[in-house]
Amino acid sequence: MKNIIAEALDAAAIAGATYADARVVETREQELSVRTGRVDAIGSSESLGLGIRVIADGAWGFAATADMSGDGIGTAAREAVALARAAATSLREPVRLAPVDAYRDTWNGPCEIDPFTVPVDDKLAILLAADEALRAEAAVRVSAARMAFLGVHKMFGSSEGSLIEQSYTESQAGIVAYAIGEGEMLPRSYPNSHGGQAVQGGWEAVLALDIAGHAPRVGEQAAALLSADSCPSETTTVIIDGSQVALQVHESIGHPTELDRVLGDEAAFAGTSWVGLEDLGTLKYGSEKVTVTADATVPGSLGSFGWDDEGVPAQRDFLIRDGILTGFQSSRESALTIGRTSNGCMRADGWNRQPLVRMTTISLEPGTWGFDELVADTDDGIYVETNNSWSIDDRRLNFQFACEIGWEIKGGKLGRMIKNPNYTGITPEFWGSCDAVCSPKHWQVWGIPNCGKGEPMQVAHVAHGAAPARFRNVRMGVGR
Amino acid sequence: MRLSLEDARTLADRAAHVTPADAAEAVVTSSASALTRFAGNRIHQNVAESDTHLSIRAVLGTRTGVASTNRLDDDALVRCAAAAVEAARHAPEDPDFPGLPEAQPVSVADRVNPATLGYDADRRAEAARAIIGQSEARGLTAAGTVAVNDYAVAIASTQGVDAAMEAGDLRATVLSMGGHGGNGWASFLGADAASFAPAALGGRAARTAERSEDPVSLEPGGYTVVLAPEAVADIVDFLGYVGFSGKAFAEGGSFLCDALGTSIMDGRISIYDDALAPGTVGISFDYEGQPKHRTPLIEGGVAVGPVTDSYYAHRLSLPNTGHALPAPNPYGPIALNLEMAAGDASVEDMVASVERGIYVTRFHYVNVEDPMKVVLTGMTRDGTFLIEDGQLTSAVRNQRFTQGALEALSHVRSVGAQRSLIGPGEGGATLVPALLLERWEFTGETG
Repeated sequence: MKNIIAEALDAAAIAGATYADARVVETREQELSVRTGRVDAIGSSESLGLGIRVIADGAWGFAATADMSGDGIGTAAREAVALARAAATSLREPVRLAPVDAYRDTWNGPCEIDPFTVPVDDKLAILLAADEALRAEAAVRVSAARMAFLGVHKMFGSSEGSLIEQSYTESQAGIVAYAIGEGEMLPRSYPNSHGGQAVQGGWEAVLALDIAGHAPRVGEQAAALLSADSCPSETTTVIIDGSQVALQVHESIGHPTELDRVLGDEAAFAGTSWVGLEDLGTLKYGSEKVTVTADATVPGSLGSFGWDDEGVPAQRDFLIRDGILTGFQSSRESALTIGRTSNGCMRADGWNRQPLVRMTTISLEPGTWGFDELVADTDDGIYVETNNSWSIDDRRLNFQFACEIGWEIKGGKLGRMIKNPNYTGITPEFWGSCDAVCSPKHWQVWGIPNCGKGEPMQVAHVAHGAAPARFRNVRMGVGR
Repeated sequence: MRLSLEDARTLADRAAHVTPADAAEAVVTSSASALTRFAGNRIHQNVAESDTHLSIRAVLGTRTGVASTNRLDDDALVRCAAAAVEAARHAPEDPDFPGLPEAQPVSVADRVNPATLGYDADRRAEAARAIIGQSEARGLTAAGTVAVNDYAVAIASTQGVDAAMEAGDLRATVLSMGGHGGNGWASFLGADAASFAPAALGGRAARTAERSEDPVSLEPGGYTVVLAPEAVADIVDFLGYVGFSGKAFAEGGSFLCDALGTSIMDGRISIYDDALAPGTVGISFDYEGQPKHRTPLIEGGVAVGPVTDSYYAHRLSLPNTGHALPAPNPYGPIALNLEMAAGDASVEDMVASVERGIYVTRFHYVNVEDPMKVVLTGMTRDGTFLIEDGQLTSAVRNQRFTQGALEALSHVRSVGAQRSLIGPGEGGATLVPALLLERWEFTGETG
């Protein structure tokens, strides 16, 4: 890898680049899924390639190739410079980068048991057992259990002297039961929806989830949902479980505080932001209970690394402190617009993509409440768990989330089960209504390995620390 | 550089036949793509990539396994084949697996166009400047893309399948933004870039942006709506995703279940999948190398049937409609070239017939809340207008909707005569007209 990077940087310089960085990324993946008793997929893949990013004539160019021969590397470097020069024909201001030290170092993510060495039979045994247990209830007509593993080995080098080698392993597992009846199909998942929980770590992380052990409860809840009452249409108090709070943070705090969105660079696709540069340090984003960090140093999180994909060290930074906006997620280029250096949020989803500002671990910091204590403190409301559907506008203001399951809260106690609970709101009003966040005992990091952004589309693996939290005056049961 | 068609075909054939299994199938996709992206009236990203992806499905009895790689040397090919066989060795027997499909004659659409391939970095930059110029001249800000895909796909198997084609397409998008909340949108997608007119595209978005400045609030509730093709495409895509798949049908999770032969939409709604339609994009056979045909899904509002691949055709005792995705495929067969039949109304006539309603240019971030009824929620975006007494009057703020698609498509007042091709390109596209719907439920608006 080191030689390929040196060759790429040399070729870019000869072609006329005033700055260049190169990334060689090697990945291997394995996915196994079982659905309603049938093995749906056993697949593996590998990929190796080179991405070269340059500045020439003051503009960015990026070219990627899987051809790692000398000719392939040289062609890609020259193409990157040609692309930059074509982009420069519409230049407003030459690209400038906030300074960063040159690093020559390595970083490895946590992994106790390499999941790629675990026999397929062992993995299938867990998946098949979990899948079968989900279907103990007759109403569960479709069940699914899935595991996925990713191994990444990559090297970054820049014309400023950095040479950084990083490796990490990701593991994911989850189950879902679908109860089907009377024109409804209702999912219930564990430990999270949309594929389960994902972490940086190895086979030990999958074993710790015990998906087969949780399957009977998940199946029972799915079946019970069919006869549960529908979510009432009302404005009420809602307590949201940690996994859904994580997604709420993702959509309504994570994305709008990406500095490239604030600056308009993602306008045509993902959208812009309701937050402006002028809001930094003054905007009341939420209540004083709301403190949010961007932290790429959380052990075992999908959002962690040693250095981002432009060689900036991993950092912990505050985005919101006691409800006030205090920071953005930034790159070397965008950080200059707020007079700061980068807080290290540039990542690409592979060798063939130019890095973008991406979330790291964006977390709602824990509060002080016990969960039981929080429910007991709530006279009237609804408790909801596990995302089922999500939607938010292009400025990240108006959102609507549906969850898999809910329970009525009456007189400080959880009561009847509720199906299809959904809620809607406006970002600052919603976070402004947050009056309680549960304690570190209830706080955990939730992996989100499917965050789409950019053109060409990139899918980032990000994470959010969250605990159950309470919100007042929330509109629920929309369209019911 | 991507592989030539013949090189892709040779690689697929070789990979299928070196795999030490009872049967094997290889899929090769080789692409060279480039995208010029602009925002703030300047190009801020200009990227290109080339890659080749080989995927092998190995079969041992009724057990299957899949492995893939982007390494093309002999060692990597042998390693990939061995990994696929090893995966199959551990898979349980699947009594429903019908075996790999036999070779069938396939239609290969001509989707290689010199005008499209000629869109190099300089041409894309020129097009971006032309688009930007339309906004800039009006004091607006433009963002968008000009992207070109050039790819070859080859599928071969030990059962004699030998399907290969090359194709290209150009996609351009533009969002024009004013200073007082006005936004406008326009897009182009086609295999032939000769009909791509950047300045006209940019002008269309800019005019909408100018017209949608200073949007007003709207009371939530049910409104008659005119949905432009971009908005209709979202609805049709979700029907395809949650309902038209043979897998959802087999599992009892599709709105087609227990509805075949019955009316589930207005009689003016007919929906097909047609990868062979003139002007569309994508490949004209599926990823098992099986032929695609014009497949009726809804005809005159009546549910006809789902799309299938070899597995679900066998399981459902239905014909194979040729909608396999690359294995392993957890989604089941998917319709990639959906189209809604045109009607006879112009958009102008639609608007003129509405006493009070809403015109929607496109939707944003649509998601499904109830897959059986296809209840969707999402936002309007980039040009939402109040219709009063048959005319577009004021712009309105972006609105949230929560609406059952089946219910909405059961109350159609008219269907547009002109259709537009909407979509991401390489994976297919959706060909749809504008629709005038009796009622669409808006449940909130942006702050």
